[in-house]
Amino acid sequence: MVSKEGDLTIADDSDREAGWGTLLAAAQRGDANAYRRFLEEILPFTRNVARRKCRSEALVEDIVQDTLLTVHRVRHTYQPGQPVKPWLATIVVRRAIDANRRQGRIERRETWNPEAYETFSDTVTNHGEASDSSEAVARMMATLTPRQKEAIELVKLKEMTMAEAAAASGQSAGSIKVNVHRALRRLRRLIEGVERE
Amino acid sequence: MSRRSTDALITELVTKAGAVRPLAAPLWRGLGTIVLLAFAASTVIALFGDLQGLSARYSGRHLLMVLEMGAMLLTGVIAIVGAFFISIPGRSRLWLLAPLPSLVAWIGLSGLGCYQDFLRFGGGGVAAGDSMTCLMLLLGGGLLVGLPLLLLLARARPVEPLPVALLGGLGAAAASAFLLQFFHPFALTAIDLGAHLLGVSLIVAIASLSRRRTLS
Repeated sequence: MVSKEGDLTIADDSDREAGWGTLLAAAQRGDANAYRRFLEEILPFTRNVARRKCRSEALVEDIVQDTLLTVHRVRHTYQPGQPVKPWLATIVVRRAIDANRRQGRIERRETWNPEAYETFSDTVTNHGEASDSSEAVARMMATLTPRQKEAIELVKLKEMTMAEAAAASGQSAGSIKVNVHRALRRLRRLIEGVERE
Repeated sequence: MSRRSTDALITELVTKAGAVRPLAAPLWRGLGTIVLLAFAASTVIALFGDLQGLSARYSGRHLLMVLEMGAMLLTGVIAIVGAFFISIPGRSRLWLLAPLPSLVAWIGLSGLGCYQDFLRFGGGGVAAGDSMTCLMLLLGGGLLVGLPLLLLLARARPVEPLPVALLGGLGAAAASAFLLQFFHPFALTAIDLGAHLLGVSLIVAIASLSRRRTLS
């Protein structure tokens, strides 16, 4: 039995899907080239499904990336010989639902008010300060390990829950929690150091 | 706002990727789990089961016993197999409905047995039996069956854990209720039936609430 998400296909392109199945099966055996081709070839289909399922065009690429991360995490669940599209479409739809929920949470809590960030009436002044701040933040972020950076981005910037961040990154929820904690501690020390200077 | 370019992400994933062993077909994984559970349950029943009590409880109503226990077993088997199917992306969500007919039959036949007891024993048919013991045994059995089951289901790292937890919880609860029949030599009263339903609901609820820890 396959789910209705398989119906999201535009045309009956079973040849292409059979090709995806072969590539994914080869990727399961450790063929890196096949895996790269598979991930690149599914992008248009993934974007198409994401676009239909999400509320904002701005979310599409996030959903695509979350889908790629999930595909990586659950690629062992694909059974060679089975159709790829229902398997993939279910993952995209699920990640789109998560992204929409996340976006909804943010919209409920936040109000867009660009003036709130202004400290002086002269906009040039603010731009200069913003540029300095973002450079300082970028410098601080660069001191984090890749896993800490990923954890901070997912949990604090994208406001994912621990479980969502774990699903998106492939790290365990416990590891996400530890990495967020360590990253925050490191950033706090760096900020305190800057303030003392 | 994308955190990095999609091309860079693909390169990173390809670099990290190694060979993975595909999971066996969900049907075989489900049936394998049931065979293991059956083996463990047979051993426990052979060692500690009260078969005479079971026979006495259904005295003169062996057809009811076969039907009721058959419905429990069928609910458990379908729910467990369904949980393995639904843990794989792209499999039909109809598996969520598949155990419903046998579940309804199970509850209906239990209610019928309870009603027959009420006719035979009058008020005794609705009085509290050893319901608390029954509830505890059911919960203990559900935990024993449910934990290894959830661990096996977690190997698929389900992208949608809730339906998997619901079916897995129902499967564990049904298997536990089936087992309980061999250790429960009392007439089934309405209170007992309520305790059964409460136990099954609690096991399903525990499985669903713990889904993020157990299935992610």
